Amino acid sequence: MTTPTHLSPSEIEAFGRELDAIRDRHLADLGERDREHIDRIISLAMTSEAAGRLLLHFGIDPISFVLGTGALTLSKILENMEIGHNVMHGQYDWTRDPKLDSHSYEWDAVSPSAGWRHSHNFEHHTFTNVLGKDRDIGYELLRVSADQPWNPGYLAQPLRALWLALAFQWGVALHDLKLEELRTGESTREEVLERAKPFLCKAAWQVAKDYALYPALSGLNAPRVLLGNLLANIGRNVWAFAVIFCGHFPEGAEIFHEAELEGERRAEWYLRQLLGSANIEGGHWLHVLTGHLSHQIEHHLFPAVPAWRYPEMAREVRALCERYDLPYNTGSLGTQLKSVAGKIFRHALPTKPRAALTRQAPPALAA
Amino acid sequence: MRVPGENPSPTHTSLRSAAHRLRLDRQASHWLQKIDPLLTLGEVRARVVGILPETSEVTSFVLRPNGHWRGHRAGQHTLLEVEIDGVRHQRPFTIASPPHGDTLVLTVKRIDGGKVTNHLHDGLRVGDVVGLSEARGDFVLPDQRPERPLFVTAGSGITPALAMLGELANAGELKGATLVHHARSRTDIIARDRLVRWADAGLELHLFTDDQPGPRGFDADRFAATVPDFDQRETWLCGPPPVMQSARALWALRDALPRLHTERFVAAPAPSAGRSVQVTLRRSGRTLTLDGRGSLLEQLERAGERPAYGCRMGICHTCRCPKVAGTTRDRETGAISTEPRPIRLCVSDARSDIELDL
Repeated sequence: MTTPTHLSPSEIEAFGRELDAIRDRHLADLGERDREHIDRIISLAMTSEAAGRLLLHFGIDPISFVLGTGALTLSKILENMEIGHNVMHGQYDWTRDPKLDSHSYEWDAVSPSAGWRHSHNFEHHTFTNVLGKDRDIGYELLRVSADQPWNPGYLAQPLRALWLALAFQWGVALHDLKLEELRTGESTREEVLERAKPFLCKAAWQVAKDYALYPALSGLNAPRVLLGNLLANIGRNVWAFAVIFCGHFPEGAEIFHEAELEGERRAEWYLRQLLGSANIEGGHWLHVLTGHLSHQIEHHLFPAVPAWRYPEMAREVRALCERYDLPYNTGSLGTQLKSVAGKIFRHALPTKPRAALTRQAPPALAA
Repeated sequence: MRVPGENPSPTHTSLRSAAHRLRLDRQASHWLQKIDPLLTLGEVRARVVGILPETSEVTSFVLRPNGHWRGHRAGQHTLLEVEIDGVRHQRPFTIASPPHGDTLVLTVKRIDGGKVTNHLHDGLRVGDVVGLSEARGDFVLPDQRPERPLFVTAGSGITPALAMLGELANAGELKGATLVHHARSRTDIIARDRLVRWADAGLELHLFTDDQPGPRGFDADRFAATVPDFDQRETWLCGPPPVMQSARALWALRDALPRLHTERFVAAPAPSAGRSVQVTLRRSGRTLTLDGRGSLLEQLERAGERPAYGCRMGICHTCRCPKVAGTTRDRETGAISTEPRPIRLCVSDARSDIELDL
């Protein structure tokens, strides 16, 4: 892979060993504290869901509607991000608690966990930011790098991004189905239908839950409950979209080519994760609401470490980056969002690709 | 309490499944837990209602299980689950009480360095809640009770015999039964007062302790002299491996193995690195010899298996597979795992013969 030229191979190896040491220190320390954190978040998600549903079901005034929808949105965000995403990474498998088991957890979203785990944990985390290999959502639906070939369809991508933000959970689920393989002839109709079965089943239950069961239970309040659920799902969608797009697409986060993977060593994989990810700065609750994906860099370096430890690990990783003179991409939510929006608008127009494999090392951003 | 062996009805099952898909079960179990940790949707949990010291190293825990407990047969065991520093641990323990009333007794010996037994002795308090599996095991008295059952036990191996003898005592059928028990010293005999009481009620009781003159542990000659007709009797044998081995040899010599019922808990084999091991694959039924070089994933592939895999570096969990038995090591952290639990094949190696759910 293309590596910063100021580091020798042995220095890169040493950098990798230091990251291993950070990971091992935290893995050795797992215990009661981690358990208490996730239990607290689960409790909060459950309480805000119950509060949200009660306010929507029994209230008749606009204030309880806004509060109820807000509480329901909060519970969906917590469940998807800090609980679901992190549990399905296996961050809590060590507790051996069946309700925190990565392989049996089913999250409150229309994409079935099993398929998502494959496209996310394997394809995205192994091949982070490698064009053509990383099937993270951005790379196929949007053009976020000059290295992606342009076509006139991309002119409409700002609109497409808006649609994706509103219906993010559906975008993620449909993306996992690889519908584009119908067009390229890689899959037959039957294969795609077969692949779609778990999704159709899961989505039907999810739709039934939010748009039939709960409205029906509320009797005359049904329209109000239905609207509240719809808004909560949309709120969660927009938030998840924003957080995830800030993770790999702000200016400075690098894109890689498949050829650069050849013979990649563990330490080089670490380096690619670091160079391809970006953090969001903020307080404790911002981090919790992003499922600690505000520490995308640490998440990509240590995907199986309980995410609430990332702020602590970030201090160590950042110090390490300064010592090795490596960039550490971080900024406020506003800065990173502006940066991503800029990319989406800019690359809607034909932009010039970089010359693969021959470019210079990126300038170190961290002082 | 439901009748043992009764299965939930199909309607019940499909309701449960619908509740799960509508995410109602998570909500329900969360709020039930807040009210009372014993309230679960199906998990067996039990409250500790009594803690009785038996000897200096052995303690009995009296447990009252919730309504999901489906009863047990005398001699069966259960997997006790406790949480220690955020991690759930399961260990098998014999139920030392006969099926009677709404409590059950687990009699536990403290093992040197044992995480769970030490936690039970030092950390468990009356009022705490623990998890239980359904009762399991076929080391039980048959429904048609044998005429003159014989129990041969040593150390904490007496616990299943305590349950079976307790059942016989409740039924007033102790006459004809014989217990030959071995212990290190008189003070190490578990439930000695109860044994003496049962002896008064007709149990033929022989206690051998190592602090008395004569042979130590199980001795074939002494035993054959004590119970001359042992090879004619249905016998239940439970004790540490050396006792089990010598006793089995004696029964084999007399051609009486079909009448010998045995039970023992195998302690985890000691870890050993880099040698070849046997791997049993439960689903395919195959047994393979692995060379011990590289990760389990690489070794299985060299042996011709094709387990699912993804990143091959411990990140994506695609190759995760349940380890049913044996000791493995996590190559990333060096952690040794002896309990049944899922492992990532690409970052694990075997430290004993193992069984995988593949």
